Amino acid sequence: MKKVRRKIGKYEVGRTIGEGTFAKVKFARNSETGDSVAIKIMAKTTILQHRMVEQIKREISIMKIVRNPNIVRLHEVLASQTRIYIILEFVMGGELYDKIVQQGKLSENESRRYFQQLIDTVDHCHRKGVYHRDLKPENLLLDAYGNLKVSDFGLSALTKQGVDLLHTTCGTPNYVAPEVLSNRGYDGAAADVWSCGVILYVLMAGYLPFEEADLPTLYRRINAAEFVCPFWFSADTKSFIQKILDPNPKTRVKIEEIRKEPWFKKNYFPVKLGEDEQVNLDDVRAVFDDIEDQYVAERSEITEGGPLIMNAFEMIALSQGLNLSPLFDRLQDNVKRQTRFVSRKPAKVIISSIEAVAESMGLKVHSRNYKVRLEGVSANRVGPFAVVLEVFEVAPSLFMVDVRRATGDTFDYHKFYMNFCAKLGNIIWRPAGTMPNSNLLKQMTL
Amino acid sequence: MGCYCSTSKKTEAQGYEEPTILSSETPCEYHDPSLNVTVSEVEALHELYKKLSNSIVEDGLIHKEEFQLALFRNKNKKNLFADRIFDLFDLKRNGVIEFGEFVRSLGVFHPNAALEDKITFAFRLYDLRQTGFIEREELKEMVLALLHESDLELSDDMIETIVDKTFSDADINGDGRIDQDEWKAFVSKHPSLIKNMTLPYLKDITLAFPSFVIRTDIEESEM
Repeated sequence: MKKVRRKIGKYEVGRTIGEGTFAKVKFARNSETGDSVAIKIMAKTTILQHRMVEQIKREISIMKIVRNPNIVRLHEVLASQTRIYIILEFVMGGELYDKIVQQGKLSENESRRYFQQLIDTVDHCHRKGVYHRDLKPENLLLDAYGNLKVSDFGLSALTKQGVDLLHTTCGTPNYVAPEVLSNRGYDGAAADVWSCGVILYVLMAGYLPFEEADLPTLYRRINAAEFVCPFWFSADTKSFIQKILDPNPKTRVKIEEIRKEPWFKKNYFPVKLGEDEQVNLDDVRAVFDDIEDQYVAERSEITEGGPLIMNAFEMIALSQGLNLSPLFDRLQDNVKRQTRFVSRKPAKVIISSIEAVAESMGLKVHSRNYKVRLEGVSANRVGPFAVVLEVFEVAPSLFMVDVRRATGDTFDYHKFYMNFCAKLGNIIWRPAGTMPNSNLLKQMTL
Repeated sequence: MGCYCSTSKKTEAQGYEEPTILSSETPCEYHDPSLNVTVSEVEALHELYKKLSNSIVEDGLIHKEEFQLALFRNKNKKNLFADRIFDLFDLKRNGVIEFGEFVRSLGVFHPNAALEDKITFAFRLYDLRQTGFIEREELKEMVLALLHESDLELSDDMIETIVDKTFSDADINGDGRIDQDEWKAFVSKHPSLIKNMTLPYLKDITLAFPSFVIRTDIEESEM
């Protein structure tokens, strides 16, 4: 029985790999070349309702202009009766955000390497008059070789200034420069530099420099650049980051100056860029010129995205036995037991239960696309503590929740996990006949 | 076959091979993927190999317990998948991993290694009984192993549903098992399946072992 595959043009469409405010992203394969791509799908009705035709058109054109090995490449733009399809390069290594979440903070050398690539990329775009305006780890992808790929460089302006700032990062503008927050006219280059500084801080600290429960306090701290460097930052690193996170855009360090900094220059190898090729925007024009003339049916498909679907091999890939990284990283603080549970409740119920229990435990909660990050202070008050949970659908009405320590002490994490699961008890599924406390007791004796 | 060169250096452990030979050697009887590591990377890997191979038994060879200790910080921790990796690394099938085997096998995990080789290695990894196919029962056994490792219990019906769903997606010709072509097509559709097959560390390995960097400086000054 040959399975029927969905096709868009020459692309065979696979699973959903991401969702944003205005678009869904699907994995696909070019059936002519075998290359993997990501397809960003937008409904024409959404584009019209939000009056975004000219904006998207301009931003896609920009994305074609800023070709660079460290920027996710835009291959082409297609349209159907109801949708726009943006065909992008597929980046295999996932989000840098996920790497931080799984590993916690990165080493200084590793952070520097990513930062160097980020600065080179941002500078390349600034020289072409293009500013990102929404730099954050979720927009930074890693290819199969561990190199940085900046995504959404041309599409970041889909986030409007002002009101939409509330949606840039789980509802809080942690990466946004102070002058942007105050809605003054601002220099895009200086704003991007600030965001790069926040990203560098996050890479090396494992947590955000500015994070408050209420927005007014957060805004005040960002405007004053009120942050503290953790004790493991070297003096050179502190000095370097302070030059970047300068709340005054006029005195903030510029990219040319960053390049001259000794901290930055260590092990620095600039990327060699090829010749600028002719940019063809015909396909963008063809797709967008007739969009406003198109009759839009009243019925619109309301497709709510669910959790990622995990097949059996993807489950197996979670095994510690298949992760060879500990061979190389002996400093890695190894969690002794895998922590995950299974639930038969609806995915939204799982998420809301996790959020409610976490808040009752005094933790800060950030939710996005069936992924939840919980943050707090460790029991012994030594340092920050963070956990990430992600919901996967493994069978119809059957979900696995993967729980991972992001930062903080291993011992604290295990105490947290047992406490957390005890409180979550009603949504955690166990086979019939198993006493609710037996698993917990079993774990405690290990 | 004369694939391995013996060395007269007494100070080197058994199984040591010259880095230049290992980095340029073409595949021989083991049908190895071509090596994707440079001379300096081979030398850095040797630093790592020495640490691993002498952690329990000081004989210069990686035993199963030493491998488990390196992965889990516990030499007695059993894991089906770690066992499979150890068996695939052990090219001579003699129960230990020699340095040459270590370098050749890790070459598949290098970021520069061909995607085809990673897909093939993963296929051999999951073909538990080495029949040339991934059988349904093998997949079920692996799912059970993952659940056990995670201290999870699912009913047999649930496990059958998970395996059935995956097989209906992967087994294109419907013969009840996954062959290498079906596996390749399946991985193309779900590339995250082989995310474990790439270790970015291998590209930065000289940074991970600073003692080797110092050694390089010394060698350069001697030229």
